[in-house]
Formats: sequence, structure tokens, C-alpha cells
Amino acid sequence: MLLLQLLLQGLQTGALYALTAAGFALIFGATRIFHFAHGSAFTLAGYTFLLASGAGLPWWAGAAGGIAVATLFGIGMERLVYRPIQRHEGSFFTVFVAAFGVAVVVQNLVGMLAGRGFASVDTPLSRASEVLPEVFLAPVFWIALGVAAMLFAALSAFLGRHPAGVALRALAQNPDLIRTYGLSSSRLSVLAFALGSALAAPAAILAAMTSGLNEAIGHHAMLISIAATIVGGVGSLRGAALAGLMLGVAESMALAVVDTQWAEGVSFLVLFAFILFRPSGFFGVVQTR
Amino acid sequence: MIAYAANLATIVAIFGILAATLNFLIGFAGIFSVAHAVFFGLGAYAGAQVALLLVPDALLACLVAAAVAGGLSLALALPALRVRGEYFVAASLGLQMMAATLFAEAKPVTGGIGGLVGIPRPTLLGVEVDVLPAALSALALILVLTARLQRGAFGRSLRAIRDAESAAEALGKNVAAAKTLAVAFACAGAGLAGALFALHLSFVNVESFTMDQSVLVMAMVIIGGTGTLWGPLIGAVILLSLPSGLAFLPFIPATEVGAVQQIIYGLAMTLLMIFRPAGLVGDLAKGRSTA
Repeated sequence: MLLLQLLLQGLQTGALYALTAAGFALIFGATRIFHFAHGSAFTLAGYTFLLASGAGLPWWAGAAGGIAVATLFGIGMERLVYRPIQRHEGSFFTVFVAAFGVAVVVQNLVGMLAGRGFASVDTPLSRASEVLPEVFLAPVFWIALGVAAMLFAALSAFLGRHPAGVALRALAQNPDLIRTYGLSSSRLSVLAFALGSALAAPAAILAAMTSGLNEAIGHHAMLISIAATIVGGVGSLRGAALAGLMLGVAESMALAVVDTQWAEGVSFLVLFAFILFRPSGFFGVVQTR
Repeated sequence: MIAYAANLATIVAIFGILAATLNFLIGFAGIFSVAHAVFFGLGAYAGAQVALLLVPDALLACLVAAAVAGGLSLALALPALRVRGEYFVAASLGLQMMAATLFAEAKPVTGGIGGLVGIPRPTLLGVEVDVLPAALSALALILVLTARLQRGAFGRSLRAIRDAESAAEALGKNVAAAKTLAVAFACAGAGLAGALFALHLSFVNVESFTMDQSVLVMAMVIIGGTGTLWGPLIGAVILLSLPSGLAFLPFIPATEVGAVQQIIYGLAMTLLMIFRPAGLVGDLAKGRSTA
């Protein structure tokens, strides 16, 4: 029964990981920008929700606020940081350092303004009840799975059918051709950042309701996103989402053997193994770098 | 006042070593490690254990620390051989986070969160010595070594590998050996700095070897100027005088000085990358690799 409990918990965590990682993969796939500050969108959205709940606002206002803040953050990063850098150079190193600087600033600002250490929102939804003998589930479990499934259905419909979604996929494959067809690659990359960052918000809000947040959670969200993107195969949104789900389950199942502080280590070991033995991931094509 | 200045000078020298060795990795080998504090920590624990269990000999502690950090640098060299750019940063980020957990949990060796206390004063040939001269000479040694390495055949091979790995390999350069050696050298240097740090403070715990520390060292290198000899040292001086400078500002509460400091260098990193990617000392006209 312990294993079943861990599996279910893993699915819940994994659904959140899948959302965060899919946002990262969407941005990286479309714009080829390794968005190292993606974890900051997660932190900002989660803390917006926390503060709104603390102020007594209804949950939907907090959630909308969180999504809005994450989306604005993504757009701001594209406009104010990545765009000017790519205008003059845009080497990987420059982009990485700039994004990393932003992540450091966000982490410390949040720590200063909202306090350090773990904080969470306690709602009736996060109270667990016994559904099977010795298996406890909170309603938030179903919400996490439902939200993730719904967003993925919407996302694949958007990328598959909507003209802007098709254009995003085209941007990933050939940015020059996009310009030839008269589409604005700069507007599309803003769209990618807005969508990708917004995807991290529901995950952050649900995390705030379950495991809680701290100001450094962005690093963790970042590591998971990168790990899922690499394990799933760079360029594959589905791969990243599946890998995120898998990492969540693996981290949770590992708790049967090791203590909580090592859970993150499982994700890291998987990432390390993939980097050493199969850098192109599950669904990726071998990259010629 | 003299004690204060001596303390600051020792810390600057130690972080100067860290920044110079990380600069060697980033600027010359193109290996963007965000795990430098791991090897700083390994060296510090190794040096502290030598002083606690055997003799507090500064030279011995430094050598053991450099050997331990250099040997375990294989954990960083392996992914560096397989992947570059973003992928490697991801691997080193993971390594840093794992190592911090390991340092906090491996209580018999590291003392856990409580750390190792009561490290005896360092001696040299049985005579008690100050850490400052040792740190300054170690810094000078590292600077001379990096300057010589980067001008010599090894440094040129490294730069060739950084700029065009396949081309360097086609010319018969042993890419794997060169990268492994570069990583081992830089990590051994960080280990040496760790031993000096442990002997200087006579106390170490995991808080000095976390992600934040790696970021601080990286900020020193970047703000000073990657790929230059003096840039990282200048970056170290600037960033280390920041906390004492901030302490004079009355409107910042003492508990927030650390956070304000991190915000300042996070902002500095981002703004520099937007407006002056070569850093304060760096030469703007010189082309840099696009890894």
C-alpha cells in the first residue's frame, strides 16, 4: 500500500513537473533560447498566489494573478533581456549569465519581501482522506491531473490547428523561412515566452497548495525542467511532458528506499545518465552542435 | 583595524584563487561550471580533516585538499567530455545541488549542518603561521600558473577546442585529455582555496559551499571580465567589499545585507550581459566563442 501511495503522490508531483517542463520546452523549441530564468516564473506565480490568499482574496483571483504575473515576466524577459542581447551577440554564455542574474535577483527579492523558508496555502482541497485502506488522497490530486491533462489537450490543439500555433512550430524548424512568409518571428517569440511562462503558473499554484514553496524553489523547478527537456529529447514537447511525469513518479517511488532530501537526487541521476549515455534523449534526434 | 584588513585580504586572496581557476575553466576551456563551490567545499573538508586528525600543517592540508578536489573533478570532467553549452550547465547545476545535500548529510566526514569546528591554527614545519602569507603566495602561484598555461601550448589547444572542437580534433589535439586536465587543474585550485579557507576560519559548514557561493564566484569572474588575467581578481575585490560597503548604509537592515548584495550582483550580471558582455576589464573588440 505504501508503494501505491507513493505512486499516486508521484503522479501528482509529476503532473506539475510536466507542466513546468512543457513550458520550458516550448520556449526552447520555438526560440532556441535556453531560458534559465524559467524557474523564476514558477516562483513568482506561486508567491503571487500565496500573497493573494494571505490577503483574503478568493482563490480564482490569486490564480489569475499568478498566471498574469508569470506571463508578464516571460514577455518582459524576452523584450528586455533576450532581445537586446541577441541583437549584438547572443552567444550561449551571454544569454545564460543574463538569465541567471535575473533568477538570482528574483530569488532574493522574493526572500526579502515574502520571507524565507517554506510557506504554503492550506485549503480544504489539500486535506487528504482515506480512499482505499491505507491510501490517502486529497482532492488536489484530481485537480492536478485534470488541469495538466486539460492544458495539454488545449496546447496540442493550439499547436496543431491554430495558425499561430502552426507558426510557432514553423519558427522552431526554420526561422528564416518564417520571415520569408511575412510572419513576424519577433512577435512569435514573444508568444512562445508568454505561453511557456503561463504554463509554469498552474504548477506553481498547485505546488503552493500541496508541498509548499520556498524562495529557492526556482532552482528546483529549473533543474526539473532542464532534466525533463533533455531526457525527453530537445525539441519534443510531448517528450518533455512525459519525462516530467516520469521524474515525478521516480522521485516519489525512491522515497520507499531513501529519505526525502535525496528525492531530487533521483532526477539528477537520471539526467546525468542521459547526458553521459544518450544526450539526445528519448524522442530527440541526434543534434549536430 | 589591521586585523580587519588582514582578514579581508585573506578572504580576497582565497576568493581570488577561486575566481582565477573558474575563469580558467570558463574563459579558456569554455566549460561553464556552476559547481565551483563543490570543489571549494571538498578541499575545505579535506584540509580541515587533515588538520583535525593528523597535523595542522598548512602545506600538507593544501596538498591533500588539491589532490582530493582534483581527483573528484572527474565528476565534472565526464559530462564535459560528452556535452557542451546548455547541457553541461545543466549537469553542473545538478552536481552542485546534489553535493550540497551530500555535504549536509555525510555527517561523519563533514559534520553535517553543524560543520567542523575547532580546526587548529596552521603550522609550517612545526612553526605556527598566519594564513595570509600562505593565501597570498598560493594566489600568486595560481596566477603565474594560469598565465603560463594560457600562453603555452596547452592553453592554445584549449582555446582551439573551445572555439572549434572538431577542427582541433582533426588537427590531432587530444580533446578528452586536454579538457580533463583543464578541469582537474581548476578544481585542484578550488580545493587549495578550500583548505586555506578552512584553516583561516577554523570552522567550516555546508553553507559556504552551496549554489549561492558558486554564483558569487561566477559573478566575480563575469563582472571582472572572463578570459582576462586580472579581471576575476578585480571582480573578487569589488564583490567582497560590497558587504562592508552596504553595512554603512543605514536603511538596510543587517539581516537583509546578504540578499541586497545578491540582488546587486545578479542585476550587475544581467546588465553587463546586455550592455557590456566582455566584463569590466574585458576587451570589447576581441571576438568570443559562441559555444
